[in-house]
Amino acid sequence: MHERSHALEIINLHKSFTTPAVNDLSLTINVGEFYALLGPNGAGKTTTLRMVAGLLQPDAGEIRVCGIDAQRHPVDAKRLLAWVPDEPMVYDKLTPLEYLEFVAGLWDMDRDLARYKADELMTQLGLEDHVHQRCQGFSKGMRQKVALAGALIHEPQLIILDEPLTGLDAGSSRRVKSVLTDLVAGGVTVIMTTHILEVAERMAARIGVIARGELIAEGTLDELRQTSGRSDTNLEEIFLNLVDDGIARVATDGIAA
Amino acid sequence: MTGVASLSWFVRHELNLAWRDWAALMSGGRALKNGAIVVGMIVFAAALHGLAYAVSKPFFGADAPTETTRLVMLTSGVLLTFTMMLSQAMESVTRAFYARDDLDLILSSPASSRDLFAVRISIMAITTAMMSGLMVAPFINVAAYLDGPHWLAGYGVVLAISGVATACAVLTVLWLFRSIGAKRTRLVAQITAAVVGAAFLIGIQVVAIFSYGTMSRWSVMNSDVVIENAPGIESLLWLPAHALSGDFASLILMLVLSGLFFAFAAFRGANQFRKLVVAALGVSDNSFSHVPTGATFQRRSTHRSVMRKEFQLLARDPWLISQTLMQLLYLVPPALMLWVSFGSKTGLSAIIAPVIVMAVGQLAGGLAWLAISGEDAPDLVATAPVGPRAMISAKVNAVLMIAVMVATPFVLAIALLSVWSAFVTFIGAVAAASCAIFIQLCFRAQAKRANFRRRQVASRTSTVCEAFATLLCAGTVGLWAAGNGLAVIPGCLTLCVLGIAWYLRPRKS
Repeated sequence: MHERSHALEIINLHKSFTTPAVNDLSLTINVGEFYALLGPNGAGKTTTLRMVAGLLQPDAGEIRVCGIDAQRHPVDAKRLLAWVPDEPMVYDKLTPLEYLEFVAGLWDMDRDLARYKADELMTQLGLEDHVHQRCQGFSKGMRQKVALAGALIHEPQLIILDEPLTGLDAGSSRRVKSVLTDLVAGGVTVIMTTHILEVAERMAARIGVIARGELIAEGTLDELRQTSGRSDTNLEEIFLNLVDDGIARVATDGIAA
Repeated sequence: MTGVASLSWFVRHELNLAWRDWAALMSGGRALKNGAIVVGMIVFAAALHGLAYAVSKPFFGADAPTETTRLVMLTSGVLLTFTMMLSQAMESVTRAFYARDDLDLILSSPASSRDLFAVRISIMAITTAMMSGLMVAPFINVAAYLDGPHWLAGYGVVLAISGVATACAVLTVLWLFRSIGAKRTRLVAQITAAVVGAAFLIGIQVVAIFSYGTMSRWSVMNSDVVIENAPGIESLLWLPAHALSGDFASLILMLVLSGLFFAFAAFRGANQFRKLVVAALGVSDNSFSHVPTGATFQRRSTHRSVMRKEFQLLARDPWLISQTLMQLLYLVPPALMLWVSFGSKTGLSAIIAPVIVMAVGQLAGGLAWLAISGEDAPDLVATAPVGPRAMISAKVNAVLMIAVMVATPFVLAIALLSVWSAFVTFIGAVAAASCAIFIQLCFRAQAKRANFRRRQVASRTSTVCEAFATLLCAGTVGLWAAGNGLAVIPGCLTLCVLGIAWYLRPRKS
């Protein structure tokens, strides 16, 4: 039996398309932790998270969501998690409330709780003036907020967000960050990929850096500073340094192998 | 325009895009080598020529029709081609206004949008001629082979009527913009395009039903009434038929008239292009539909939630409704046949049942694609704590329910003639719908609902399998309703088609 203190365990995960996208990746994320997964374009972040969400089948390795083997018991694992892709996918012809009603139906939620959560999320995310409008005219930012509301309505234990702040204006971005921070304070685990390093620096308890499908560094900001040997620099400098070193190391290991 | 934005440069650019579009259409969007495309085209062309030979042979044999009958038949052929071209051109013109692929780039560039759109309209005329020409060319070639090279003038007629069709499409869309505004033009134009495409065939069938009690359009063309009332051989009405037969003067006159009309329409369209496109883009960007929300948050099973969502999405998309229900247009002739001949013909249901089965099968295929492949939030559905079987089952049920709802009124009408035939028709309709759904399940691929029109391009195999399966279901039902035991043959062939679809389905990597 696995520890319930781990919201997510990834063990020796492999996935290849024409070339390896994720290579022997292992990481563990604790319950109630805000974890940022960083990496350059094509590093394997989204592939990793899509495997966790059950959208891609790993070639090898294990994924455990709150102790549940996600490959053996995918439905049980999915009940506990929410996935928000970088490109918000909502139904143009439904209103935000109808979208949330559909999501509540998929997760088989109690009617009163679903209604209450929907109203709460509409207000928290600043969508209360748009509940009677179909999503077809919404900007990307508004669609992103509707998708996020859909991810949160069923009260997931693990929320996986792929570039959630892309396309959001400053006010919306602040609202979303506030909602996520409150969730983490309430014991929910959040994993987020982002290219906005300031967000990761300010919000994440731990940061993982991935390059060419491998985890090249992981830890708190201070631990990453120590790893990179630059004690008084910001995350951007650390990240660029780690990625350069990591890519070189992965390439060398590949040649040696 | 100077430098790279010259007119000739834009012509090359547009031709390049048109070629790639066409190649994608031929290859089903897959990256095929040129050789594969050529081999495929040769096989396709050979099949079409074989079909054209079988159809055209009697026309040139010992039983060749009289001159007036020949003119009537050629003119109706030209009219049929014209309606097909008009339908296609209206679709292209509407897409040019609303698809924002490169319009932002073009309109924000210093190039003259008037010149660019004039080129675009011309390319539309050429592609319209090419697409319809593909279907008509085998008949022209076979006629030239059987009766002499003067029939090759048919290619000139194709060019001329494509110019007229494109010009009519441009002027109609401009008129719609002025009359009903940018918001409604897209839907109305696309419905008009679909109706125009089917109107001529269905119209003649309706006349045939009311006049002769048969759905065969040839009964109208060859009827004494039409032949006796047809104008004299010298009438201008026969200009396309004379041109088609190789009369050089008629052909030149047609080309000149068509060219002038096309130039006028292209000039008008190009002048108004920028203004109308900006209006159209404004509609697609800023339209907020205010609706009283249907969200009641009643506790529903996953199955019912998915079905409700599918119904809501379909009911709120007039364009999709028009596209799917357009297939029901072909049910108009059998419905009329039922009404006109009610009580008088006992074998009638055996004629009508296959048409109903086919239409329901085709409708179910379209709906199944929308529900199964055209899922706009695939990640949401895939990450929901619902087994894939339950999800698919809900979607299949939604499609089947609509198919049954459409078939039921016809089945009830047939039941008034023959309960047995009604039973057979109902079973056939459900079977055809199930076959279409099964094939869509075999070939499911993630796509946006907006790409509905392109679904038949995405997988040629599924399109062909679906067509054969519904056709064979219809054949089975026709024979079964007539009490013919041979119904078992198309029935078995239907199962073979399903087996082939299963065998050819793309394997998940």
